[in-house]
Amino acid sequence: MAAAWLQLAPGSLWLLAFFVAPVLIMLGYSVMHAGTYGGVSPGLTLGAYRRFVDPLYLTILLRTVLISLVCTAICVVLGFPVAYVIARSGRWKHRLLFLVVLPFWTSFLVRTYAMIFLLRDGGLINTWLQALHLIREPLTMLYTPGAVVAGLVYGFLPFMVLPIYASLEHLDPALLEAAENLGARPWSRFRRVTLPLSLPGLVAGSLLVFIPALGSFLTSDLLGGAKQVMLGNLIQNQFTTARDWPFGAAASFVLMAAVLAALLVYVRVQRPRVDAA
Amino acid sequence: MPRRVPPSLAGVTALVYLFLHAPALVLVLFSFNRSRFSVEWTGVTLDWYARLAGRSDIFRALRASIIVGMASTAIATTLGTLIALGLARRRFPGRETYEAALYLPIVTPEIVVGISLLVLFAAIGVPLGLTTITIAHVAFSISFVVVVVLARLRGMDRTLEEAALILGADELTAFRRVTLPQLWPAIAAGALLAFTLSFDDFIITFFVSGVGSTTLPLLVYAMVRRSIEPTVNAISTIILLATTLLVWSADRITSGPRTPRAVAG
Amino acid sequence: MKANRHVPHRLNRRELLRLACLGLAGLPFAGVPGCSGRDAARVPVADLEPELNIYNWSDYIAPDTVRAFEREFGVRVSYDTYESNEELLAKLAAGAAGYDVVVPTGYGIQALLAQDLLAPLERSRLSNWDNIAPLFRDSPYDPGRRYSVPYQWGVTGIAYRADRIAAAPDSWGTFLESRYAGHMTMLDDGREVLGAMLKLRGHSYNSVNAAELAAARADAIAAKANLMAYVSAPVKGQLIAGDVWLAQLWSGDATQARVEQAEIEFVVPREGSMLFGDAMAMSRGAPHPRAAHAFMNYVLRPDVGAAIAQATGYGTPNAAAAARLTPARPYPTAAELARLEYQAELGPANALWDRTWVEVKSA
Repeated sequence: MAAAWLQLAPGSLWLLAFFVAPVLIMLGYSVMHAGTYGGVSPGLTLGAYRRFVDPLYLTILLRTVLISLVCTAICVVLGFPVAYVIARSGRWKHRLLFLVVLPFWTSFLVRTYAMIFLLRDGGLINTWLQALHLIREPLTMLYTPGAVVAGLVYGFLPFMVLPIYASLEHLDPALLEAAENLGARPWSRFRRVTLPLSLPGLVAGSLLVFIPALGSFLTSDLLGGAKQVMLGNLIQNQFTTARDWPFGAAASFVLMAAVLAALLVYVRVQRPRVDAA
Repeated sequence: MPRRVPPSLAGVTALVYLFLHAPALVLVLFSFNRSRFSVEWTGVTLDWYARLAGRSDIFRALRASIIVGMASTAIATTLGTLIALGLARRRFPGRETYEAALYLPIVTPEIVVGISLLVLFAAIGVPLGLTTITIAHVAFSISFVVVVVLARLRGMDRTLEEAALILGADELTAFRRVTLPQLWPAIAAGALLAFTLSFDDFIITFFVSGVGSTTLPLLVYAMVRRSIEPTVNAISTIILLATTLLVWSADRITSGPRTPRAVAG
Repeated sequence: MKANRHVPHRLNRRELLRLACLGLAGLPFAGVPGCSGRDAARVPVADLEPELNIYNWSDYIAPDTVRAFEREFGVRVSYDTYESNEELLAKLAAGAAGYDVVVPTGYGIQALLAQDLLAPLERSRLSNWDNIAPLFRDSPYDPGRRYSVPYQWGVTGIAYRADRIAAAPDSWGTFLESRYAGHMTMLDDGREVLGAMLKLRGHSYNSVNAAELAAARADAIAAKANLMAYVSAPVKGQLIAGDVWLAQLWSGDATQARVEQAEIEFVVPREGSMLFGDAMAMSRGAPHPRAAHAFMNYVLRPDVGAAIAQATGYGTPNAAAAARLTPARPYPTAAELARLEYQAELGPANALWDRTWVEVKSA
């Protein structure tokens, strides 16, 4: 047990001091009154939490969850093949991995603006599609929910690829070979060998995509034309234009509580997977 | 037997890479665009690169971002890996709750973390600057590293490690020479993730940055939100080129003529 | 057989080297030209402090203003930027300190004053004060101009492509017509959108009347159906490209866009609009008050003010500087002023406005 503490202590202390403590401050804010110009004013109240129970805000929550789920699903479909190919690429493994991450070392915002150029009516994609005579009129892609999803997938794909890759990387090809020799077809091999072994990475990746997606707001503004409000926009606004920090904090904690509950379930399910000490 | 990648999968992968890189390529392209607003192509120019030379603020910001990125990645990767090891290998009461709680930094909206950290620093009296930014970046990166490394640890076969222990190696040696090499891809993946997160972080950095500690995202986001100027594209292109060159040369140095692909047999 | 597991050991070194190389990437920047610009040893003029910390909007100054100031006054300037009043206010409210000069918009100054976050200015150190046009010598948000020095001014209006529109728009009602549906945008700013709709019905831009706001909300939702998107300053690019034909936009941005596309015109609707002024203020507890005053006084010089306005595209409250601008940016006439309102700090009514805006966006 002592060894456990030794490994967990440094990181845990850091998180306690620089994450838990600030968040506790926010928790305190969530039960106080809003200051007129931002911040909080003294006095305890649950008004912020009560305010959240309102069709307007619950719709926003629902919409955000749906879009995030769609985004996660697409990331799985696109990310798994990529991670699989990279893991099986021998010498090229690291270069391919690096190529996945490389675009993300340029500014996210600048890349999103570049997407606008690609997606607009007179943009690159439409121009080429028309030049190839595949369409007559330009497709309206920009400022649609589809554009928002595309932008989200674009922003979160590496978060899916990296964990799956890490999980698949040690997949011994001998296992697949053995399965093939025993007569299993490709899909069966995938379902019974590859998939189970990559499951931890798959789930990890899904969580790393779904959870931050819930809090995203820039993509909806830039690619969706700011025509809809996502949970991230709502929370962001509370601390800026709306000057209602308690409500922003409360909305955040509702979100965090919901995700935490789901996670506890996930961790429980993980139990049989953990190797017995 | 050579490793085979089904052509269909390779095709999908190629398309995904195209999707990932298209906006970045457009970005690079527009750094040579004559128009100030990156919506239409109006002609070639190197003006924006020339302007970079006079923008000492951009270089300062880039330097700040690299320093913070390297420092926070190193710390977060170390702490995160340790936690992952502790979680995967040890039993202790409350382990499951602890693991679930580790996801909190991932789910907490950045603005909440940013503002509350600022309040904390202000209350304690810590001066805002690159140090506070690094502290904040480590705080939100640790969880990402843990998730990636833990996923790998959970699926790892321990027989080799046990064999080493049986053969007389002590725990530390067994870890260093058997576990660590197997774990390395996951650690590297986690580090890459942490650096990416740090290098492009805006909201948290905005709130905990102080006088003279503007990082690149702060500068770029401000420039882009108010008036897109291709100078931003120029600096992004240079970053892309520099990193690619560095990694390519590192690759060249470390991979020699030897290719001991000892095939499984 | 796991004999091939020998390979990971080499990967070990490779990764390490890669990380090291990336780390080395940081070092050269320490010596990049122009990295610090701290060339000659500086001796500050008169009784000024050796340093100054400025926090301004991004892209809101001429390229050489700060450097020229540094050279003339021997003060080392730290220049940081933000791009929204709200983010500035949130940061200052949460306790960030160290900035001497901040440049909020009018209502932001009201909010900061209410929280006692600004320090009064010493007029005696602002010898160029008389350069300020009479129109801006006082303000509703800082009566008596005790805490602020006007920096730039502008108005909200409609920027449009004269070559794509049949007739010049002159009313906010244009956004309620479907004639140009799909090619119109409004600002991604609740105050501006709802304010415009309020003006359309003859109410105040700053109304806090629930019934008036409800009507404005209905109008805004009706207009939303015709809009391509809510975009703020970045709409310039699409205006130039011709995707957008009508955009609610600020005067300075319209001026900037016109440089690249001569067909862009700007008009203030007949119902009236918003006049805004950004002003320099000094935070309470500023570490370098004298240098701060020197900088503000420096900006009040005609040549400096003109250079700034030329670069930003906005108007300068400095009459002496305004005389040097080409093309001229005239101050609003009395008739126009009658239709313009400053954006006021809403105080507790913020909550009502915010909810209304969320309802518009969720519709």
